[in-house]
Amino acid sequence: MSTRARGICLRVGSIVVMLIIWWAAAILMADVEVLPGPVLIAKTIWTNLWSLGPEGKSPYFHMGVTLGRTFIAFAAAMLAGIGIGLTMGLRKLFEHSLMALIPLLLTMPTILMVFLAVLWFGFNEVGSLVAVVGVVTPFVAVNMFEGAKAMDKSLIDMAKSFKADNRMLIRKVYVPQLLPYIFSAFRFGFGMTWKIVALAETFGIKFGIGYMFFFWFEQFIMEQVLAWIIMFVILMLALEHGVFARLESKAFAWRPSHSL
Amino acid sequence: MPGPLVLLDRMIMVYGDPAAYLVVWVTIVRILEGVVICMLIGTALGLLMGLERNIEAFFDSWIMVLLTFPAICWAFLSVLWFGLSDIGPILTIVLIVFPFVTMNIWEGTKAVEKDLVDMATVYKASRSLIIRKVLIPQLMPFIFSALRIALSLSWKIALVGEAFGVGTGVGQQLIYWFEDTRVDMMLAWGVSFMILMVAIDLLVFRVWEKRTFAWRHKIAS
Amino acid sequence: MNIQTESVAAANTVVAVNNLTKKFNLPMNGGEFVVLDSISLNVNEGQFAAIVGPSGCGKSTLLNIIAGIETHESHEGGSVEVFHKSAEAGSTPRIGYVFQNARLLNWLTVEGNIQFALESQQFPRERWREQVTKYLEMVGLEGQEKNFPLNLSGGMQQRVAIARALAIEPDILLMDEPFSHLDEITARKMRFDLMEILMRAKPTILFVTHDLGEAVFLSDEIYMMSAKPARIFKEISVDVPRPRKPEDPVIFDLEKELVREFFSVLDAQD
Repeated sequence: MSTRARGICLRVGSIVVMLIIWWAAAILMADVEVLPGPVLIAKTIWTNLWSLGPEGKSPYFHMGVTLGRTFIAFAAAMLAGIGIGLTMGLRKLFEHSLMALIPLLLTMPTILMVFLAVLWFGFNEVGSLVAVVGVVTPFVAVNMFEGAKAMDKSLIDMAKSFKADNRMLIRKVYVPQLLPYIFSAFRFGFGMTWKIVALAETFGIKFGIGYMFFFWFEQFIMEQVLAWIIMFVILMLALEHGVFARLESKAFAWRPSHSL
Repeated sequence: MPGPLVLLDRMIMVYGDPAAYLVVWVTIVRILEGVVICMLIGTALGLLMGLERNIEAFFDSWIMVLLTFPAICWAFLSVLWFGLSDIGPILTIVLIVFPFVTMNIWEGTKAVEKDLVDMATVYKASRSLIIRKVLIPQLMPFIFSALRIALSLSWKIALVGEAFGVGTGVGQQLIYWFEDTRVDMMLAWGVSFMILMVAIDLLVFRVWEKRTFAWRHKIAS
Repeated sequence: MNIQTESVAAANTVVAVNNLTKKFNLPMNGGEFVVLDSISLNVNEGQFAAIVGPSGCGKSTLLNIIAGIETHESHEGGSVEVFHKSAEAGSTPRIGYVFQNARLLNWLTVEGNIQFALESQQFPRERWREQVTKYLEMVGLEGQEKNFPLNLSGGMQQRVAIARALAIEPDILLMDEPFSHLDEITARKMRFDLMEILMRAKPTILFVTHDLGEAVFLSDEIYMMSAKPARIFKEISVDVPRPRKPEDPVIFDLEKELVREFFSVLDAQD
């Protein structure tokens, strides 16, 4: 069996094993309150997708709400982060003044950031946006700062010696060198944003996947809690790996091509 | 937004009460337990994945799935499964953080010098000897950085885990004051804990790094 | 491929390579690439045998096969036998290897590195100290036990590698262009010191090099190898008694002869 085929078999196999372990554990527990089996969860998800949920809102509505918040917040955080990071990299003044603030923001726990954002800006879209920006922007900024610092000065000098104008410089010299940093910030930043939005929604921002987590958690209805978690995970996996992975030309493969 | 003086005043108030130290201690213990378990599982798994291609292919999808879980999901599940207990925050920490440790160690195995493994193979070193004397020393920087990452992630996750009804710990204080809309008290607890964690990171890791990697400092020839 | 493990009473052959052919499978078009073509050579106990040939002709592959670490999936023919001179039945031959790079474990002391080999070979612990001291002294590094490899020069690191290989008292010592990464002055000193070690410890050595002068100066038997596919086209004995001097005219003449042989073969190939 070729290596590639074997790899795929093993991966599929591992998911199957995961499901089998779950199924066996569920039978052993014999208590739907504690651990519903995969079959039950699959049914629950299916039913959910075909009906209107509590308060007359379908899962698609909630997913849409969360996705919408995520995309907008992420876009804001990325733009701000790239802007700040590049400015820091190019202008010493910004580097020194912001360098003190950024580690502070990076150390701040997400939950605290969410609490603050929500208390100051309300239990609404603005609150969740601010929370995301507060956590993700410093992260992206640091990434871009490193990217700006790592740019090969000799290439810039070379381009200038050929009298390349600014537009050319930006397009052909700066951007290609920064692209890997942008992609990696994108990859990690998106994952972070998703989770922050879900967290913010759990704390009482109306509607959205996080809101549903809490809704069912409060009522101790395990099938729904698990069903929503699985839906969230699948959606996130589809987005992160299906969509973004393809977008990425530089492989941030955490899978290698060789082993010891 | 409370000013720095107000914040300082609240912090003094908080730590004036001896009960506060127990709260912090409880959280720290949970973090340490979580980190230790993460390092054990993560290092073992990362090493195995680096050594055996089949193991790597098998487990990497589990890791991928685990990485998508938000901490809050594990926090909820733990409460539903174990009620209000210590297991909640610790389990949450372990499940979120050990994939990062695994990835780090696994990266490390990729960076191991094959030449040295070949040399050891020629001299017929046993597998255990190769792992002990050739692999692990090369993995030390990765283990070290994995530990640092694990710690810095774990303490933040511990707070999430505690916020959801363990009943004790700094995280519980945070949510208590949050629900009371007392930003000043919330920040007093939050910021002081942040400072503590940063201090530990600086003191423990900087010192430790210098000691362990002494053999790296070459004398200029 | 066979590695014999019985002790040999009769012949004092340590390594017998018989018509060894090694082919690599080409992944792309499914063809085969012949790396070694019917290689035959023998190394006897106490002998210094050299394989000389241009770089990249497969000499390292041959050594790796003998050492048992050649892992490429490929097709092989012929045999490689390494004989074990000790009386213990069932034990495997001891093989020492000195690589082009010292390949020391930088986090272990000099002594630790040698002990690593001793431990791998299951040498009794009581004898470790004695082996370390003896062979460090033999390579001119007495007193360096507690030093770390990164504090040593390239030449000194290579000496440690040699001491490590000798300390296990190998049946065969394989050396793959061990001095090629050193500067010429250091390399010359190392060759001289290796010759003295030869006279003292009398190891059996199979030495690979692309340097003709080095081969003539050090060896008893020279196997000349052509490239692509690697084939041994001539065998020359060097009967000059030791200690040898590099400026000895006999040595110089032999070197010239080798050069002539190589050029004629290379010309014929083009």
